Amino acid sequence: MPHFLHPNLFWTLGLPTLGVLALPVLIHLINMMRHRRVEWAAMEFLRVSQKKNRAWIMLKQLLLLALRMAAVAMVVLVAAQPLLPNRWSGLLGRGRTHHIVLLDDSYSMSDHWADTDAFAEAKKVVGRLGAEAARQAEPQAFTLLRFSQVGRSQHGTQPDLLKQTVGPDFLAQLNSVLANLKVSQTAAGPLAALRAIGQLLGTADRERRIVYLVSDFRERQWNEPTDLRKELRRLNQAGAELYLVNCVEQTRPNLALTALAPADGIRAAGVPWFMQVGLHNFGPSPAREVTVLLSEDGHARPAVSVAEVPPGQTVAARFPVSFPSPGSHQMVARLESDAVAADNYRYCAVDLPADVPVLLIDGDVQARGARYLDWALSPGGAVRTGLRTQIETPRYLSTRPLKPFRVVCLANIERLEDSAVHALEQFAADGGGVVFFLGERCQPQFFDDSLYRRGQGLFPVPLGGAAELRVDRLEPAPDLQVEKHYIFRVFAEKRNTFLPMVSVQRYFRVAKGWRPPAGSATRVIARLRNGAPLAVEKSFGKGRVMAFLTTAAPVWNNWARNPSFVVVMQDLQAYLLRRPEETASRLVGGPLELSLDAAAYRPQVRFSPPADSGPAVVVNAVPDAEGRFSASLAETDVSGFYEVRLTRTDETPEVRYYAVNVDPSEGDLKALGGEQLAARLEGVKYHYQQASLPQFAASDPSGNNLGEMLLYALVLLLLGEQALAWSASYHPAGARAVEKGVRPIFAAGHRGAARHGGTA
Amino acid sequence: MHDSKRFLHPEAIKRIARLDLRARHIVEGFLSGRHRSPYFGQSVEFRQHRQYTYGDDLRYVDWKVWAKQDRYYVKQFEEDTNLRCTLLCDVSGSMRYGRGAMTKYEYGCTIAVSLAYLLLRQQDAVGCVAFDEAARSTVPLRTMRHHLDAVIQALSVSSPRNKTDLAQVLRKVAESYPRRGLMILISDLLTDRAGLFRGLKLLRSRGHDVMVFHVLDDDELDFPFSGPTRFDGLERSQQLRCNPRALREGYLAALNAYLEEIRRGCSRHNVDYALLRTSQPLDAALATYLSNRLGMHHRNRN
Repeated sequence: MPHFLHPNLFWTLGLPTLGVLALPVLIHLINMMRHRRVEWAAMEFLRVSQKKNRAWIMLKQLLLLALRMAAVAMVVLVAAQPLLPNRWSGLLGRGRTHHIVLLDDSYSMSDHWADTDAFAEAKKVVGRLGAEAARQAEPQAFTLLRFSQVGRSQHGTQPDLLKQTVGPDFLAQLNSVLANLKVSQTAAGPLAALRAIGQLLGTADRERRIVYLVSDFRERQWNEPTDLRKELRRLNQAGAELYLVNCVEQTRPNLALTALAPADGIRAAGVPWFMQVGLHNFGPSPAREVTVLLSEDGHARPAVSVAEVPPGQTVAARFPVSFPSPGSHQMVARLESDAVAADNYRYCAVDLPADVPVLLIDGDVQARGARYLDWALSPGGAVRTGLRTQIETPRYLSTRPLKPFRVVCLANIERLEDSAVHALEQFAADGGGVVFFLGERCQPQFFDDSLYRRGQGLFPVPLGGAAELRVDRLEPAPDLQVEKHYIFRVFAEKRNTFLPMVSVQRYFRVAKGWRPPAGSATRVIARLRNGAPLAVEKSFGKGRVMAFLTTAAPVWNNWARNPSFVVVMQDLQAYLLRRPEETASRLVGGPLELSLDAAAYRPQVRFSPPADSGPAVVVNAVPDAEGRFSASLAETDVSGFYEVRLTRTDETPEVRYYAVNVDPSEGDLKALGGEQLAARLEGVKYHYQQASLPQFAASDPSGNNLGEMLLYALVLLLLGEQALAWSASYHPAGARAVEKGVRPIFAAGHRGAARHGGTA
Repeated sequence: MHDSKRFLHPEAIKRIARLDLRARHIVEGFLSGRHRSPYFGQSVEFRQHRQYTYGDDLRYVDWKVWAKQDRYYVKQFEEDTNLRCTLLCDVSGSMRYGRGAMTKYEYGCTIAVSLAYLLLRQQDAVGCVAFDEAARSTVPLRTMRHHLDAVIQALSVSSPRNKTDLAQVLRKVAESYPRRGLMILISDLLTDRAGLFRGLKLLRSRGHDVMVFHVLDDDELDFPFSGPTRFDGLERSQQLRCNPRALREGYLAALNAYLEEIRRGCSRHNVDYALLRTSQPLDAALATYLSNRLGMHHRNRN
């Protein structure tokens, strides 16, 4: 059965034309009939010539006839473009045709319009490709790989179909696979998929490979196309044909929730604190009166309204929250429906303690400093700050673990044992907050040698000894001058009344010539009127250290009697309690990893994905090098709250929730057109196609197209035909040819006449 | 080339309808172009003066000598009798061919009449035989000026037809003209070569000088045809369908062999031979004639 690129052309036009193959015969015969008539005298010579050349002339004429018939047939074949079936071309070193479909299922493919969406269009394209492949008579294979299935941490790359031979039941199988496919909530790009197919499929020794990249071609993923270009060129060089199929035709506006996280405040049960929600407008025009719906622990709460989100910008909105009970709480923010649904949801899980324990250490027996701090942090009575203070002597640091506490405040300590210093440093390195207040008992030598240690220790500055702040009655400036810092928010207003009321009489100088080391996180956040540092902040490991170079109690200053002291100390606790890693958002597609205290928990961990998104998974935690259990859920396919059930060693259960969110950048729906794509893919050979176009170029039947080869053969055939026709006298002779013929004869005759005339 | 030459091209001559005027135009044109020629008047070569005696033709009295010396002398020529020239002109069917300005028949007749005019102008006797397979008309030898009309009349056949049978014709001519003379055969010689050579041999054996003007058309010599063509024989009912270019090479080879055979045959029998194309200027025949006449005199004298 012949196989053509344009079979219709062949069967409707070509076949009748093939019937016209007899035409050259007819023309040939008519030509013979349509001869010119010449009355001729020298018949004798003609007869001699004809007798001599009869066989050769007949052969030439038959050859000419055959050439003309072949030329007509060739024209038809060139138009129809016959394809050499791959089973034949296999003999020439080519094998089956392998269709490799890379299907974008990132959540931007859920972009919907009218009654369809990009992913549905993409599935139609894949279905059409499968149907075209099934129509081919030659051996075909089909591979279908979704972007989200590439490089999964647990199972590796998992194609939906891998080198599937296209047989009679292939279409049913493909349709079944397609029916179960849904848009993922990942932000997977094409690069990983392109890299993966090379590893999956190996080299194409005896097969023709056609790679279809079915995607929405969002600008975000193609803005840095160097690696993509490299991968696509590699495919080109490997001989694969490349089709880029775009499933969207225009960019639609989209609003995305980019963040939902605790903002500030002491997070404890029954204490009001703030959360922050971020909105990004990916559309070209401002979004006005945007309502963010909120729910806390499954119950709706008052929505947040944002007046305007300018195009291309992110707007953050704060709202107060208060959970009465300790434990894990779930907060969900939601936007009204727009082009893409996945980024309209944002989840945040908050683990609230009943209160936050703060250890107050005072070197003085009277513990005046600690008591002032205690009053400021936990005044008691009806006022609930969420902080639970505990006043101890310095010896407590050496004898008791600091882990239960989140912040340790030290006031007026004379010296500490080495074990206490070590415990403090370990506490800070693990993320705890440490606050120093000095006093008359403090020994600068001890601080320098044990706590500062040339900058390696906990204390942020080297001390130079106690000093008096001289009273300058002519100087109206307040004694305390603060930098812009979270804990000094209370002094932030220009006309605040608290700052001038704070007076400092005595303080510890820093060592002469000391400056915060360049590039370090050490920072002077408050100074005295004379420029001497009064409060210095330093990062230590995961934690923070704050040193006030004066007393906490109103001994060297009067700050503790000022209302601002309470506010600053509360904000200081909130500041030190911040742990960004606790509120960091986990993204869909990544693993959910837990590190558990091996002594406190059983190794069995039960992960339950968000409702209706899959079965629960029980994972056996493995001990790591530090003696902790490490358990992880390899893949998180959907956004939402993942429930983790733990069992403590005392057999009591514990439930934690972890929020997993989509990557908000995938909500940027700016799409590329064919020309923009071409500019980014310079040097890559590919075919670009809109999925909506009915004529889908990639559905060309497979086989080696012989059209071009036949065209060359036709040209050669026609040249041969012309040469043969000329030699067989079917072309009028040019004037030059006649002259060339005349000259020798005429000359011979003329010379002959002269010669014979002269000698006769 | 002389300016007169351009009036002697067949295209120019063709415009002159009357054959006698054509002949006059050609001959006068030819002679006017040849007045410095050493061959002028050589056809009746002056030998010496001789004292007039009774009975001498008064036409040969040299009146200039008489005017100077008051004596009668006659001019004595190499040949004191008139030249007898018989023009044998082929008017067979094959002469009808011609795609140029003139057919072979017209060209041959124009040559014949031109030669007759030239000869009559020189007081030579001119006879004419128009023939195909037999002599169709015969004009006896005469020297009168108005004899040219008879020659023209004899050549003016309504249309050439029939085959050529030169052997028969030449044998008849040899019998009809027993006195020695000049026989000028104007033909395309598309006939049996053996018969032709027999005839020529017979004429030569009877003492005639024979001159052959072989008239062929350009087409016959070059065979420039192309495209499917049916050739119909002019003398025989022959037909040939062919693609001429395919046959051209073989045709030219056969033609050259034929021409070579003719030349060799003529040479063998001491017959002057000249191949004329119908596209050639018509004075070529006259030049050949005069050149050959000189050759004859030298030959006869030696």
